[in-house]
Amino acid sequence: MSELLRILENEIQIAALSFLGIVYLFRIIWLFKFVYHKERTYPAGSARTGVIYSMMNVAMPWAMESVRKKPFFYVQFVIFHIGVSAAISSTFIIPYWPGLFKVKAVVILFQLSTGAALIVGLLRLFRRLSNPALRLISSLDDYASLILMILFFAAGIIAIPNRYETDEWPLIVFFAITAFLLIYVPFSKIGHYLYYPFTRYFLGKTMGHRGILPRKKSKTTTGADSNQ
Amino acid sequence: MSDDKVDTSKVVNLPLETKTQKKAKEDRLRCVAQGQLKLYDPKANNVQRFIDLLSQRINRPIAISLLACVHCGMCADSCHYALARPADPTMTPAYKADQIRRIFKRHRDWTGRIIPWWVHARSPASDEDLNRLKNIVFGMCSQCRRCTLNCPMGVDTAALIRMTRGILTELGIVPEGVFNVSRDQWETGNQMAVTEEDYLETLEWMKEEVQEELGVPEVDIPVDKKDCDFMYTINPREIKFDPRSIAHAAKIFHFAGESWTMPKWGWDQTNFGLYSGDDRLGAYVARNLYEAAKKLRAKRIVISECGHGYRSTRWEGYNWADYDQKIPTESVVITLIRYIKEGRIKVDPALNPEPVTFHDSCNIARSGDLVEEPRWILKRVCSDFREMHPNRTENFCCAGGSGLLSMAEYRPLRLEVARIKAEQLKATGAKLVCTICHNCVDGLNDLIRHYKLEMKVVQVLDLVANALIVPGKEPSFQK
Repeated sequence: MSELLRILENEIQIAALSFLGIVYLFRIIWLFKFVYHKERTYPAGSARTGVIYSMMNVAMPWAMESVRKKPFFYVQFVIFHIGVSAAISSTFIIPYWPGLFKVKAVVILFQLSTGAALIVGLLRLFRRLSNPALRLISSLDDYASLILMILFFAAGIIAIPNRYETDEWPLIVFFAITAFLLIYVPFSKIGHYLYYPFTRYFLGKTMGHRGILPRKKSKTTTGADSNQ
Repeated sequence: MSDDKVDTSKVVNLPLETKTQKKAKEDRLRCVAQGQLKLYDPKANNVQRFIDLLSQRINRPIAISLLACVHCGMCADSCHYALARPADPTMTPAYKADQIRRIFKRHRDWTGRIIPWWVHARSPASDEDLNRLKNIVFGMCSQCRRCTLNCPMGVDTAALIRMTRGILTELGIVPEGVFNVSRDQWETGNQMAVTEEDYLETLEWMKEEVQEELGVPEVDIPVDKKDCDFMYTINPREIKFDPRSIAHAAKIFHFAGESWTMPKWGWDQTNFGLYSGDDRLGAYVARNLYEAAKKLRAKRIVISECGHGYRSTRWEGYNWADYDQKIPTESVVITLIRYIKEGRIKVDPALNPEPVTFHDSCNIARSGDLVEEPRWILKRVCSDFREMHPNRTENFCCAGGSGLLSMAEYRPLRLEVARIKAEQLKATGAKLVCTICHNCVDGLNDLIRHYKLEMKVVQVLDLVANALIVPGKEPSFQK
């Protein structure tokens, strides 16, 4: 293994990861500086249940009409994010648990995951370019983030077998993209996963308190019995 | 269904009308003099004021909603504007929210401050830009919150729209209709400028009507009676245009043996602060009502059928007014359920034989908590109840929500996008559409006329009053 690859896999990745963590920390501190008002009404439901329901929304494709109408879009979402997890895991497995990628089945599984995510990424890029509504709202960051992820997946597929003895360049490219991603993510829309728990928390808390989420089912009991 | 298409590029550029603002200034209205109602000042640095107000008003949930949108476009499939105008990308909720998001990014977000062109961050350049923003947030969104519940990230676009409306209201950059109703509510305590004399006379008139109808002189509509079980609050529209609903309520309360009252002041449960985004107005109106209940030592507050009134009084008002809820605050729908369950009133569904469907008000289904409750009643007072689809929290807006009925300049677009609702209504085959919102009554009536549907809009109180079994009276009496 060359010194360049060793540094990329270790020091640079750790430095980039630390940078990401520090920026996220500042981001959360900044967010908490915005005021949060106290709720003054009697509850009609449970804020806690609402939060749990809202957080679990991602795993309940039946819960939102928008997803029910477009099940393929949800499948794409799942594939894409499994691919993201596989590619990110690879950046840790390769330097710190290389033995795992000696198992051919694991390599194939990871390559398939990132490969499928790559295809979804390309579909998403096509959708963003071809749909006028999406084109109108898309910024350069939206395109760059998606292209960066596509490149990350592509590099991951080639790098995952971890053949540094014979073919080092795919690994160098993969880890260089990883380092860049880690630095870029908190400033781009890829950082949305940091916000996801917060948006779902606030929405779930309000909706749960008001008895809107979880969605009521047809039943014989009504709110007439509760303390309105 | 009509195919007329509105040119939204013209709607976006509709000018700011300030005639009534000038008149309010000339008339030296109290609310203007005291700085409650803000007027447009063309000489002021409105752009900077907008940016300053934006920074002041962003709270944590709003900040998160401004940051979290990933531009996936899923919201387009949930918005009746976008569904009715699929070829118009400016109708996408994310696009509308981006008009405020880009200002936030330019002034508050790290990336947007350093490389604005990379993330579509942009500051408004002039009052014309603010006026365009006004036309988007007031004229192209009914804040129905359908996109919010359908956003995978949980972005509350309706809350962003309301906040933006509030900032523009503070600058006087508002549609005339919004200005006028806000003025009336500030000046008179109710949004239709009903005088105390008119209010009391109408209550007296309705009392006499019910007494005559039932032949029961004991029926009363008490005003400012202390220590009652509840204080009943209404929509000024009931006084001005539809006092029958008050008569229906009085009749039902009488047979239920209820101890109730209406307040002389603080009776308006509607709140234009919800629509204009003006939390100060919202707090003022809500506080009037809560204080009236306190003064009368009422054990609870009952809100007549009104979507935004229910949301404002039951949920938002306490928070706007920084007023801890002390007594139960419920919709009259809940009161009616209690009467039926406790056997205090008897109803006969055969008295409402026509097919009835139910329209969920956005402010109640997606921002309140009543979806099964009105259905529980309808299934007991109507013999042919039919659901419309989608329904409950997924129901479509009547297209007249968020004060759009008061903004005449946006009516053509409102009626065009009401096609989605019209199709929903038509598919039910019902003759009556019931709703628990006065605003929806007007919105639905408007679209029913426009799309020539053979339907009539009713409310739960109408149907319950009609199905009421009056002791010792023949059913034919009940009309």
